[in-house]
Amino acid sequence: MKQENFEIWMIDYLSDELEGKDILNFEKHLEENKDHRKQFEALKETWSQLNDLTIPEASTTMDEKFYVMLHDKMEAQNHKKESGFAWLKSVAESFKKPQLAFAMLILGVGIGTGYLLNGDSKNDSTGGTVNAVVDSDTETEEVRGQLVLTLLEQSSANKRLQGVNEAAKLNDANERVIKALFATLNNDPNVNVRLVAVESLAKYVDTPEVRMGLVKSIEFQNSPLVQIALADLMVALQEKTSIESMKQLLEQPDIDNTVKQKLEESINHII
Amino acid sequence: MQELTNNALMLKVKSGDLDKLGLLYERHKKRLFGFFYNMNSDAALSEDLVQNVFMRILKYKHTYTGEGSFTAWMFRTARNVNYDYYRKNKSEKNISEVSEVAYKLEDSATIEQEIQDKQNIRVLNRAMQLLAPEKREVLVLSKLKEMQFSEVAQILGCTEGAAKVKAYRALKELRSIYLQLERR
Repeated sequence: MKQENFEIWMIDYLSDELEGKDILNFEKHLEENKDHRKQFEALKETWSQLNDLTIPEASTTMDEKFYVMLHDKMEAQNHKKESGFAWLKSVAESFKKPQLAFAMLILGVGIGTGYLLNGDSKNDSTGGTVNAVVDSDTETEEVRGQLVLTLLEQSSANKRLQGVNEAAKLNDANERVIKALFATLNNDPNVNVRLVAVESLAKYVDTPEVRMGLVKSIEFQNSPLVQIALADLMVALQEKTSIESMKQLLEQPDIDNTVKQKLEESINHII
Repeated sequence: MQELTNNALMLKVKSGDLDKLGLLYERHKKRLFGFFYNMNSDAALSEDLVQNVFMRILKYKHTYTGEGSFTAWMFRTARNVNYDYYRKNKSEKNISEVSEVAYKLEDSATIEQEIQDKQNIRVLNRAMQLLAPEKREVLVLSKLKEMQFSEVAQILGCTEGAAKVKAYRALKELRSIYLQLERR
């Protein structure tokens, strides 16, 4: 046997690429060939030692950097699309001749018919991909959740604002995202970010914990704008448990007059 | 559980559905980090290089054809990122580090087996770093989880047989460096 063939065979064996009978054949060959057995014994040890090389866990900074980069690229792409639409619009406006409109209509009908006819023949084969799409959507939601968490931790208010906006796009936020949104609502130094957090959380008011969190948050707020946004939300939800929190806020000596009036009105609406 | 394949996801990224890159990142970040870490033993640098891989994937997404394995395409990009980094920085670790290892080995001559095992791993790690980058690379790729030699060959741009021969010879040289370090 040529040395090179033996080298390939040994690597096949070491990397578990041999199966059944081939494994036995290799082992039998080693028993019969002293020199190859010696080579094998020496390298086998080093090969298995390679499994012991430890790799540390990557830090969370890696995820943060990635998601911020991805978000920036997605934003840049959206801007491009928007400017593309503006261009399309200007082109469309210049095509106001009835003949051209009629020709476009005919073309559209033709494409639509072709698509429908073609679609029928494909229906049988699409069943298998439905699950894949659903699972992929779940995975996408997880990734979007990760993006939200990363953006909410950024020092730039603009990035945090984008994070809260991304949260609003989630179909179903997980516990970590909800917690992060509440931390933003109660602690973010930027009023705009807190205001958008109210809107994002409003999407999950069917969850009792979220409703309760929003009620509790009323007391923490010192910005009149956020206080008013929360009061409006409580009225819309007809949340009776919020009355106590609003009353406590009313007792604060430095309360803004407009907010005071708003809270009194809100309490009356809920009662 | 049925998932969209890496290839299907990458084609979506190519067509402009950029957030699918997040899924590919989640699926492959550990392996890529492991690849770079085994190549340079520097965690912070490895994190940056993983980031560079995904930036490059976005930049060159139009070149992705969907033929062949996505993993192989991604690791070819990773290889290029690694080469470009070292070409720019010219900081490949050099042989002078052997003396440092030898010193550490003398220190640990009388200590317990457990510590000896750890030391052996350190020596092996050092031996890996002393191996020529292209040889280190073939070993790192061969030992990556779920990576078949057919894919290693695609990444290296050679036949499967040639990839295995390269792995064998790299392994042999690694052992030789390891024994040299151990004897000192």
